[in-house]
Parts: sequence; structure tokens; C-alpha cells
Amino acid sequence: MKPAPFEYHRPSSLAEALELLADLPDAEPLAGNQSLSILMSNRLASPDHLVDINDLAELSYVAADGQSVEVGALVRHREVERSGTLADALPLFPEAAGKIAGPVVRNRGTVGGSLGEGDPAGNYPCVAAALDADLELASADGSRTVPAEDFFIATMFTDREEDELITGLAIPREPFPPARTGQTFLAVKEAAQTWPTLSAAGAVRVDDPAADEPVVEEARVALANAAEVPLRVREAESELAGEPLTDAALAAAGETAYEAVDPEEELHADETYKRELAREYTKRALTTAHDRAVA
Amino acid sequence: MAEHDITLTVNGNEQELTVESRTLLVHALRDELGYTGPNVGCESSMCGACTVHVDGKAVKSCTMLAVQADGTDVTTVEGLDQDGEFHPIQEAFQEEHGLQCGYCTPGMMMTAVDFLDDHDDPGREEIREALEGNLCRCTGYQNIVNAVETASNKMGGSGAAAGGDD
Repeated sequence: MKPAPFEYHRPSSLAEALELLADLPDAEPLAGNQSLSILMSNRLASPDHLVDINDLAELSYVAADGQSVEVGALVRHREVERSGTLADALPLFPEAAGKIAGPVVRNRGTVGGSLGEGDPAGNYPCVAAALDADLELASADGSRTVPAEDFFIATMFTDREEDELITGLAIPREPFPPARTGQTFLAVKEAAQTWPTLSAAGAVRVDDPAADEPVVEEARVALANAAEVPLRVREAESELAGEPLTDAALAAAGETAYEAVDPEEELHADETYKRELAREYTKRALTTAHDRAVA
Repeated sequence: MAEHDITLTVNGNEQELTVESRTLLVHALRDELGYTGPNVGCESSMCGACTVHVDGKAVKSCTMLAVQADGTDVTTVEGLDQDGEFHPIQEAFQEEHGLQCGYCTPGMMMTAVDFLDDHDDPGREEIREALEGNLCRCTGYQNIVNAVETASNKMGGSGAAAGGDD
């Protein structure tokens, strides 16, 4: 099926793109087109204008310093997946990127597009929630920063205004010094063409990886497709913090996740099954992250 | 603008055409320019039958607007052979019987060539992962994986060594 007719615009600078988004009624930004095209071909979306941001090279950056990691909105999943900078600083991010759809989709799909889509099953929203990312938004009127936890509001509904563009995200590094941190992204995914039934992002920092019983200083866990928004399970995190990892703490964290989720039922995954997945994958994500922290 | 004059270089041939904003690249290639190698399966990025290369990278041409491809080099399955000689991936699909109905084959081959361009000696598991965005409803995939493995061997562990692509 064909998309409904629309006007196509291809600005060559961020300023020009923001002017177009401000001036044109019913305009959508277009980046990798791996999700929007499907919505449009099925006539689930029919914007009057598309503003193609693929020429905005200024949005295609990956940078890390001592304080933060910054990733531009136009960075492709493939680039995230293969980024040495991200593999060193925040390995959760490339691991999550490598589990998006199939490789050909990853050649085109972008960080900004995936965040902006706001699908509760999306990998990056879950990563952003787990790592306390700040999303950077710009409009012709200026720019602002929104914490991931406030950005995702409901299924495919975010805090982005119609005239705004996601320009990138910034993730603080202070909680996760690589030498004492382990991270992982686990997806329960039956086929490349489907969204994961559930995913879990985990990160654990210990006091001393070489100690006989390293103490967990900080744990993070966030679940995708377990609620309308990416779900950070803080109660599960606090079950682990402040002591060496124990089976009892993991079990308690899993039970917390079982109760915390509010999953949408799917054809092959009823609510109970998804709760059980949340329990199990919370435990697995935290265990894997811990094992990597002390390895 | 709802219509655009664009230039596509398809398999080395520069072509000018006028497309609507909403025209998908796969439809421009098939209906306007006559390259019927890329097949239309799902039109929703799931099946991979429409996979082509745009500036050397595999893309599902149902998820790219033709106007977005303006000024790019596009390679379809018709552009894989060189001077009548099959590309190693084409030879391998023939030898390994990597197809039955053939509908998915152009997409499979274009995805595989992009993959082999930067994987010198892939394992079978890697090949399966590389092809996970391409559906085949006939073969059960075994012979397709065999074909990609054979092509890799034919290409001598160097993805850039053979073929007319990129």
C-alpha cells in the first residue's frame, strides 16, 4: 500500500530543519524511516509534510569524556553497535543496538528515531531509563533537556512537542566506571521481525571486583514492553545495593519486578507470562551485569 | 513539493526520473526503471525481498523514499554479475540449491553481499544472524546458509575481492 500524499523537505542544517518544523502544519521529522514508513504505508500515520534530517551531519556524533557520553540523534543503530567508544564506556548501549530488528534495518534506523517513536518495547528507551539519560530537544525557540524518566509518557507518546526535534542524548558516566561496572541488555525475542516480548537492561557497580565478596554499590534494572513506558524498577535495585550479591536478594528483586510491571497482553504472551518473564529477566540481567563487573 | 526530479545511478547507469514524494524506492526501481529484481513482499521492512544497496549499504527499499535516494548509487541484484560472469554469491546459490521459488533470493543475496563485505570468514551462526531480516518460506534456510558459506570461501576470505558491487 502507498502512503497518503505528502510534501517532502530536505533541510541542510539544523536551523533550517527547526524552521520547517515550526512553520509547517502537521509535519513529522524523518530520519531512518524504519518505523514511520511502515505506519505511513499502512495509513496509520499521514502527515502533510516530512522533514528529512538525513543531511544534518551535526547530529551524527558519538563522544565521551570523563563526565558523560553523548550520542547524536542521527547515529545509526549499526554505528552504535560497532562503536568502540560506547563499547568501552557504556557497553549496554551497543549490546542493545545489536538486538534491534535485523542488520539491514540497523543500517538505516537511528537513535533519535527510536527514542522519538516511544514504543514501550523499544531498546533505546529502556537503555535511556536504566542509565538516567537526558534527552536533548531543540526547536526554533531554543533547546531543552528532558530526563528519560519524564520523556516517555505512554505508548508511542512522548514529551516531544510537534515543532521539536530530538538532537541527541547524554548519559552520565559517574555511576559506571568501566573497571568496576558490568552491564547487559537481554531481549526475549522469538524472531527478528518482531518486537521483543520483554527486554531487560541491567547495570551493576561493585566496590572492588577483586574482593572475595564484592559489595554491590549500585544496581540498575529497566524493563521494556512491561508497561506503557520503559520501566525502571527502583525497588528491585535497592534489594541489591549495599551488600554482596546473594540469591535471596536476587529473588527479592525478581519478585519486586513481578509486581511492578503492568504489561499489555499479546497473542503469545498473556499477563502472567509477562510478569514471570519480568521476574526471571530482572534476575538474569542483574546476575549477568554483576558477573561482568567482577570478571 | 509533492513531485521531484531525481537522479539515480542504478547498477552504474545514471537515470533521471520524476517521482512523487511518497514513491518508495522499490516502486521507482520496478515500475519506473524496470529493475524487477527487488521484489515487493511485505512493504513493511519485515521480509527483506526488496533489499538493494544504496551507496554500498544494504537497505530495504520499501522503507526508503525514492526522493531520499536522489544522487545515490543503487545496486540491485541485476548489478551483481560482471560482464556476464556470476558474482560468487550467485554461483553459490546455484551450486548449493539455495532457493526454491526464488522470491526471496534477490534480497537474500544483496543482504549476504553486504555482510560478506565486512566479514571475511563468518561462522554459520553469524551467517544466520546476518540473514535474520530476510524471510524465506520454501527452503528452511539450510541451503541458503550453505550458499553464503560457500560464497565466502569463493571470495577467498576477502569480501572486496570479487563481484561487481560497491
